[in-house]
Amino acid sequence: MQRRNRWLGAGALAVIGALALSACGSGFSSSSGGSTGGELSSSKKALTVLIGSSGPAETSAVTSAVSSWSKTAGTSAKVIAASDLSQQLSQGFASGKPADVFYLGNTDLAGYASAGDLLAYGNKLPNKSDFYPSLTKAFTYNNQLYCAPKDLSTLQLVINDSIWQKAGLTKADYPTTWNELESVAKKLTTKSVVGLSMNGQYERMGAFMVEAGGNLMNPTSTKATADSAANVTALTYVKKLLNEGVMKYSKDVGESDGGQALGAGKAAMTVEGNWVTGELKSDFPTVKYTVVPLPSGPAGKGTLVYTNCWGIAKDSPNQAAALKLVEKLTSESDQLAFSKAFGVLPSIQSAATKWKSQNPALVPFLDGVSYAQGVPASKNSAAVVTDFDSKLETLATSDPKTILAAVQTNLQATLK
Amino acid sequence: MSVALDRPDLAPVETEPQKKQPIRFRERLTPRQLWGNAIVYAVLTIIAVLYIYPFLIEVFTSFKTDPDATANAISLVPPTWTTAAYQQLFANSDFPIWFKNSVVVTVVVTAGRVFFDSLAGYALARLNFRGRAGIFAGLIAVMSVPSVVLLIPKFLVLNSLGLYNSYAGMILPLLVDAAGVFIMKNFFESIPKSVEEQARIDGAGTFRTFWSIVLPMARPALVTIFILSFQGSWNELAQFIISTNDPSLTTLTKGVASLASGQLGAANRYPLKLGAALIMTIPVAVLFFVFQRKIMNTSDGAVKE
Amino acid sequence: MTTLASRTSPRHHRGINRGEARSGWLFTAPTLILLGLFLVVPIFMALWVAFSDWNGNGSPFTSAVHFIGLSNFGSVLSGGGLDEQNFGQALRNNAWYVILVVPIQTIVALFLAVMVNRQILKGRGIFRTAFYFPSVTSSVAITVLWLFLFSQSGAINNVLGWFGINGPNWFNEPSGIIQDGLAGLGVKSGPGFLTGNSFLGVSWWDWIGGPSVAMTALIFMAIFTTSGTFMLLFIAALQNMSGEVQEAAMVDGATGWQRFRFVTLPQLRPTLFTVLTLGLIGGWQIFDQIYTGTQGGPANTTTSPAYLAYSTAFGNGQEWGQGAAIGFIVFAIIVVFTIVQRVILRERKVSKRRMRLYNLPPSARDGSSNDEDDQGPGMQAAVGIATESQVNRSGGTV
Repeated sequence: MQRRNRWLGAGALAVIGALALSACGSGFSSSSGGSTGGELSSSKKALTVLIGSSGPAETSAVTSAVSSWSKTAGTSAKVIAASDLSQQLSQGFASGKPADVFYLGNTDLAGYASAGDLLAYGNKLPNKSDFYPSLTKAFTYNNQLYCAPKDLSTLQLVINDSIWQKAGLTKADYPTTWNELESVAKKLTTKSVVGLSMNGQYERMGAFMVEAGGNLMNPTSTKATADSAANVTALTYVKKLLNEGVMKYSKDVGESDGGQALGAGKAAMTVEGNWVTGELKSDFPTVKYTVVPLPSGPAGKGTLVYTNCWGIAKDSPNQAAALKLVEKLTSESDQLAFSKAFGVLPSIQSAATKWKSQNPALVPFLDGVSYAQGVPASKNSAAVVTDFDSKLETLATSDPKTILAAVQTNLQATLK
Repeated sequence: MSVALDRPDLAPVETEPQKKQPIRFRERLTPRQLWGNAIVYAVLTIIAVLYIYPFLIEVFTSFKTDPDATANAISLVPPTWTTAAYQQLFANSDFPIWFKNSVVVTVVVTAGRVFFDSLAGYALARLNFRGRAGIFAGLIAVMSVPSVVLLIPKFLVLNSLGLYNSYAGMILPLLVDAAGVFIMKNFFESIPKSVEEQARIDGAGTFRTFWSIVLPMARPALVTIFILSFQGSWNELAQFIISTNDPSLTTLTKGVASLASGQLGAANRYPLKLGAALIMTIPVAVLFFVFQRKIMNTSDGAVKE
Repeated sequence: MTTLASRTSPRHHRGINRGEARSGWLFTAPTLILLGLFLVVPIFMALWVAFSDWNGNGSPFTSAVHFIGLSNFGSVLSGGGLDEQNFGQALRNNAWYVILVVPIQTIVALFLAVMVNRQILKGRGIFRTAFYFPSVTSSVAITVLWLFLFSQSGAINNVLGWFGINGPNWFNEPSGIIQDGLAGLGVKSGPGFLTGNSFLGVSWWDWIGGPSVAMTALIFMAIFTTSGTFMLLFIAALQNMSGEVQEAAMVDGATGWQRFRFVTLPQLRPTLFTVLTLGLIGGWQIFDQIYTGTQGGPANTTTSPAYLAYSTAFGNGQEWGQGAAIGFIVFAIIVVFTIVQRVILRERKVSKRRMRLYNLPPSARDGSSNDEDDQGPGMQAAVGIATESQVNRSGGTV
């Protein structure tokens, strides 16, 4: 009896402890409610900038841009390259000590915005109207522009010049239709080289869906359209290429993405975004390549557009400085510098002409903005896409229709 | 299971000679026994190579260039020797900070565990007080809670206490371990009481008795706690994932994990990653070789006879 | 417990006792406070979170966070959504991991222990060192090494190449090995009743499909890193074994295998039990390897419930309640498995009867078997206890 009492006592103590902890709750932020934010917080605290870097080139370019801002602004700032951006962000938000400024993909916006983690500072941007409208739309949640689009990327077809020439192909052979793509891929495929290689993910193969006239969701991510006939057509086409052996996923040639496969000479063509230019420059400086528009599908031209913005945390103690930093990082000069360093496209229209003159070889990427579509952005849709990606890994042996039907169900569940 | 075990003809070395000449059997082996022995050695050597060769690959690959590392992954000698991986690690990354943090955490945790574990172990073994049985039962219960259940809640508690992103938050949850208390308790129970009782009759306080009489006698057990704490805290990962997100508090385990999971971008960079893994292995390897006898408990040395 | 001192001098009795009580609590206070704060309190907090709709913003103890009953558990265990499917997949992955790792590592450890314990073997120390060394390194470092060894053009595929085998791209290959084997025999897709029915969102066909190739690489890693530790436990037990029994068996003319099977093995039962329990507990919480190496990929075939709990809470979904719920489900699984295993191992008494065939004295039958707790502070006993805590802590690799 006595023993039981003691145990009850211990349990009670633990509960009291838990309650006491919750009462003092010093670690958790107490901010709540509206995310409009009238006054920006301001302090002398240093800024932390969390980025999801594509590699050393990007990390060092952002670091140098931030440190040059630091010098003139007098606020110190540190750039961190995350190993898993969304996990580090979530942990930061939950701990009340998030990074002040961070990369935020449009697919993650809905989740964090609805949880009240973000500062909606869009209306404070002096050059708000200069951003591509499709981008500001992507970062609008509940009719508020949350953050400044950092840059944009589209997918196009990237070709390894030397393999192309060795196969006896010329500029006239650049594929403009799915049939042409298939036939050049056949010509390019040898024992050691595969004609076409890319990551086996929606994030690459989705371009084919758009070319066929489909996509996983409608442009505003309010309706799931995954099981459309156009999507089935697109995946069936890709499956055919895989089964013919003229296309392989990059992991199946032992590389982490299409850029690596192309650079290592294991693939003649890849579908990649403009970031590939930075990757090739740093990892394979001698490899020559050409960027051409993705071939048209049954519904004409199509590609996917990606965009990140510079998110600012609602819990940041120094939002004013963070906003100043973001303004600087989205300025024409910084965006052009980033573009040069790691191949992203400027998110402001005023920089387009200058960018095109500086990067004549990469013009197809920027031109893609006019016919590109975004990826699903409803809350938790990222998890559905991850699941879709995992199913695409076995596309060669599965039925596209079944895969897409499951995605449709899952996407609809995110809209409830 | 194995050649030697399920075929009696391969393992008769001990049976037959034992009957006739139990003492000198090693000196006269029949050809069959020689063969049996040779096979045992061959099998063990092959397994030993399997266990050690990966580490040799790790060492030598870290001195290769990136293309060489992937081009011939199994050869040991690098075609071109380079220390580029190490230069990159020490000059151009946070690696030195990670190393420092791991050292700080390991030193404090190890010292703390040796002290607190023996203190509590002594109390549970020797001091007579109400609640002792309850505490002991509690310890056993606590030992059975798997750490995965605690991953999220530990984060919540650290956060509530305002310890998130601090050395305290990294160290305090590791500072005592129930298993260590258990080991110390067992040890103290195994040593005779007479010495300390004499000291206490002479008027020494409990802590004094513990500190200057009992603790020096407990060296073997303390070494055990030392080894386990050092290895445990040096190799700890999950606790540091949930207790910090500040890059200046990243430990080796967390830092190297981030290298492996793509912080470097798309390129493989195997020499760099393996070099980092190698350096983080060195301290525990040194510990292992220093205390090898203790760890293996080979009281019989290499060969008993 | 009456001490000698208190019996000899009654006047001291009260003073010492009161002092002892104070010292006792004082001595155990640091341990109690720290364990209470970081083990007991967290469990209560997590229980609340598991039943709440906390989304990671602000404190979980404000009025904005609501009690939502079992819905976090519900969406993981039923509901037909992605959450259920992911959990089912994680459970499937980990079940295969446990099914393969626990027996194999036990057999390998026992085999190595018996081999290096042979008195006649020269250089036993060197072999022991070689076999134990992988156990001292951290799971992170080993995983980094493993990613290299098992890469497309890595050492393993090189070796396979010598035998004319075109090795798989290990860490990127999501197909189950049993399904692969069946595909090799021409069975490309499962029968309808297996593919048509599902449990936790995963079809029966996938449940029985075996671990993915990627998971298989992790299984090799677990065996590589833990067999050394368990070998030490077996060696300790073997050294504690009575020679009498062996001799009695030898006089009876038992062969090496018979002696092992009917004399050695039964005496190793307590150690076997320890090793299996530790393996089981560790096997169900793999985390480090996945966090470092695969992040659950390819195609979610290396997620474990432990990793899923983490990524659900800390990922961009910020489903903290679901993450905590998964943690408790894992806990329940471990408890159930441990109890089941305890029951199974206790049931069989056959071997004792067998031992009687060799006319063993009762003491040799029961008393001489290795009992971890009675060994004093020997390193192996310590390793046994500490392994448990380490397996607990670092999830599998010790």
